[in-house]
Amino acid sequence: MEEAINKFVLAPAEVVDPGSLTKRRKLTQGEINKALKVFENGGGAKLLTHLNSCVHCGLCAESCIYYKATGDDRFTPARKVDLVASVYRRYHTFAGKYLPSLVSARDLNEDTADEMVDLLFGACTMCGRCTMHCSIGVDIAYLVKTGRTMLSVMGMVPATLQSTVKAAVDTGNNMGIPTPEFVDTLKWMEDEMMDEPGTKDARIPVDAKGRNILYTLNPREPKFFPLSISAMAKIFYAAGESWTLSSSMYDITNYAYFSGNQDEASLIAKRMWDEMDKLDASTLVLAECGHGSRALRWESPNYLHKTFPFKVKTSVEIIADYLHDGKIKLDREKFKEAVTLHDPCNLVRSGGICMEQRYILNEFIKDFREMTPCGIDNYCCGGGGGQLAMSEYNERRMKTARVKAEQIRKTGAKIVVSPCHNCVDQLTQINFSFKLNVQIKTLAELVADALIL
Amino acid sequence: MTWYTVFFFIAFLVCMAGLSFHLLRLLQSGNNMDYAPQSGSITAGIRYSFTGAMSPTKKESAFLHLPTYSAGIIYHLGTFLSVLLIFILWADVIFPAALSWGLASFLLVSALCGIGILLKRMIKKGLRELSNPDDYISNVLVTVFQLLMGLTLVSGKVFTPWLFIAAALLLFYIPLGKLKHLLYFFAARWQLGLFYGRRGVWPPIKNQKP
Repeated sequence: MEEAINKFVLAPAEVVDPGSLTKRRKLTQGEINKALKVFENGGGAKLLTHLNSCVHCGLCAESCIYYKATGDDRFTPARKVDLVASVYRRYHTFAGKYLPSLVSARDLNEDTADEMVDLLFGACTMCGRCTMHCSIGVDIAYLVKTGRTMLSVMGMVPATLQSTVKAAVDTGNNMGIPTPEFVDTLKWMEDEMMDEPGTKDARIPVDAKGRNILYTLNPREPKFFPLSISAMAKIFYAAGESWTLSSSMYDITNYAYFSGNQDEASLIAKRMWDEMDKLDASTLVLAECGHGSRALRWESPNYLHKTFPFKVKTSVEIIADYLHDGKIKLDREKFKEAVTLHDPCNLVRSGGICMEQRYILNEFIKDFREMTPCGIDNYCCGGGGGQLAMSEYNERRMKTARVKAEQIRKTGAKIVVSPCHNCVDQLTQINFSFKLNVQIKTLAELVADALIL
Repeated sequence: MTWYTVFFFIAFLVCMAGLSFHLLRLLQSGNNMDYAPQSGSITAGIRYSFTGAMSPTKKESAFLHLPTYSAGIIYHLGTFLSVLLIFILWADVIFPAALSWGLASFLLVSALCGIGILLKRMIKKGLRELSNPDDYISNVLVTVFQLLMGLTLVSGKVFTPWLFIAAALLLFYIPLGKLKHLLYFFAARWQLGLFYGRRGVWPPIKNQKP
């Protein structure tokens, strides 16, 4: 197990030339036309607005971890916007059609598409920090996603990211864990819990119908970090919650959100909706996964064109509720070390879950230290936007990590907590690469350790 | 009406038609139905988008670039002032000398800010690579307009034809290039306020520390 964890989390960044991994091929006119259709399909006034708004002031540069860490002008968010907007201008504006060089309008061809792959997939985590600080108000992350969708319809999603999506589509979880293996892991965790004092009666229910909560997981939990499953199970037990896991559809992640493939994103989301219906649960609780929470809570109703027929909450909100309602109690003496909090971009900046985790930590952490900046202004860890799945960009990703490493170091904290498994993976690599000597934990793990049972 | 005011008037109509086209297209496109349940206040989000979020204390693009930000603010004020003044001049209103000199002085400062921004675009490698001819033309048109307005205010009618010609060229150009951000800026702030307001991200909760 230890070896597997190290291989997955602690592998040094490989130096791979992204270009060598993508075999250049000629785009057909049909593919180009399909990509251009993205500008017309469903973006509405929002897309039109943001495609036409950038004034090339370049003041967004420092908001981006890629620029901040490398100083490379190519990584300025405005350059990414311009890449998508220049194609739009070429086909949809008077100046772009008749005076393309005046407004740097570009044909959508192999050169443009290759540059889009490199900058939109390989140099952006879609963290949205640049959006928040744009002098005009251009939703840069949204335009990057639009560009990714165009690449997706042309079949130009990096193979590594696409294989993660494919695993989820084919097997129901992005790591392709067979159901018997998953159920065995749950049983093993349940046995471990029952051996511990205080949780002898705790259970990990599977496929139980009519429960209050259907809880989800990030597949990295059963695969590499099963203790985080039992952490949440202990919290549910302590709160006296009626809950269950599904044996077949538990994966909170939706990497198709990052690949830009709407059809696959919709399919993955629909399975979770269907599972809620099948198990007749009242509330879907989203595990600690930033993008997964966003994809389900904010995007899935729009993928499926309907409102939720059930309640949806993140595990962070649920834990905050338990504490607020006195359903769980935490030992304030458990952690004497300084603790800092990393804010997952999709949960906080794009999801509005900002104070709940602070409320929880304030309940039992004596020495809590905010990063600077923090909350909705916090920097991305560098692992978002599917970056952790795209090994061809490992070297670049770990360069951007310097920003987060410096933030953590400045807090002087010994424990870094983040309510996102994806962030935890990146933070673990940062910890190793930058020799920070800190512990990286999810929020549930920290809470479970401090539970008074 | 002189030939140059007629020219200006035609340009004004063309500009209005162009901007109306952009506005109508935006309105016709509409906003997609958002099926996800709202968790914040859209109204508060939009209000914050146009107020607090624009504050140099909140916006990193402003507080990390205070000289550029300040120059930009002055430059825009100079542009709005010049637009207001040209309609006043068109109506043959004559200002007292002291006011004319005061306004011209401000326009000189704002035009210098525009020139500074232009020089920055030309000198800084990253900004130069990001720029296209539209960026330079837009700046030159606006800066020349402001300079001519200042000169016209203090030198009688000598520069008036040139002012109206410059204003007309500017008006013709607005709907074509990046200057149309005079419309899209408001749309973008509105969209952003809608997005963050709906999700309860904006306005941010003030006390972020437990």
